[in-house]
Amino acid sequence: MMAANQRSLDRVYAAISDPTRRGILAELRKGEANVCALAERFPMSLNGVSKHLKVLERAGLVERTVRGREHRLRLRAAPLRQAADWLQHYQAFWEARLDALEELLIADRGAAATAAPKHPRAVRGRRRR
Amino acid sequence: MVRTADTGTSEADAVVVRRVIAVARERVFDAWLDPASLARWMTPCPGWTATARVDPRVGGSFCITMIDRDRATEHSGEYLLIERPSRLSFTWISVHTDDRPTVVTVEFHSHGEGTELVLTHRKLPPAQANAHREGWTEIVRQLTATLTGVA
Repeated sequence: MMAANQRSLDRVYAAISDPTRRGILAELRKGEANVCALAERFPMSLNGVSKHLKVLERAGLVERTVRGREHRLRLRAAPLRQAADWLQHYQAFWEARLDALEELLIADRGAAATAAPKHPRAVRGRRRR
Repeated sequence: MVRTADTGTSEADAVVVRRVIAVARERVFDAWLDPASLARWMTPCPGWTATARVDPRVGGSFCITMIDRDRATEHSGEYLLIERPSRLSFTWISVHTDDRPTVVTVEFHSHGEGTELVLTHRKLPPAQANAHREGWTEIVRQLTATLTGVA
């Protein structure tokens, strides 16, 4: 569902906007970690770290596996890849459109020495070529 | 390095495209608000045609339909800022933005006798973009290697 998709991306952006959460992701990039071991690397209580972990889990950036009393955390990069795909799509889209715009403007400049601009607002302040 | 009115720095949560065009600013600017012109350059691919409907005032809307055989894709939005010949900003909505408004800003700078065009397409509304930009830039740097390896 498209709206849900956007909401999930919003959560990703919100999740990575906090420096502690970025720090947690950086730690998990080194490898899976046990929650307590991970929390020790941060200057805050386990409770404080847990709150951040919840945000990251909701955003789909961290996955928790519970084995008995042990909670293991793992990084998931898929949500970030989704956001990166959007950038790639529109980078290509606008590059192609601006190529076409440039071609069109250059061709029109060559073809029409005295043609009036089509857009009514452009009639005001017409400049020499 | 990208010059934008807002930040002066390149952003990892926005598409930025720059182009120098050997045509005066006014003509480049007008091509963005003229439906006949849009119908020609908003479809560079052979086999595609396009139609455009434009209400060129702040708060006015536009709709560009790109048609390929039997599939029509609509791109629509509303004009946020029209400052001829230097700046144009509008929302952009299509299936590729999950039908949510994104923001496109186009700057037209004089470049000799031509124009330097800088287009910025932000996924988030400006208020949110400010809050998330720093985080995004850093995390993309940190996780670049991870993106290719982790499922």
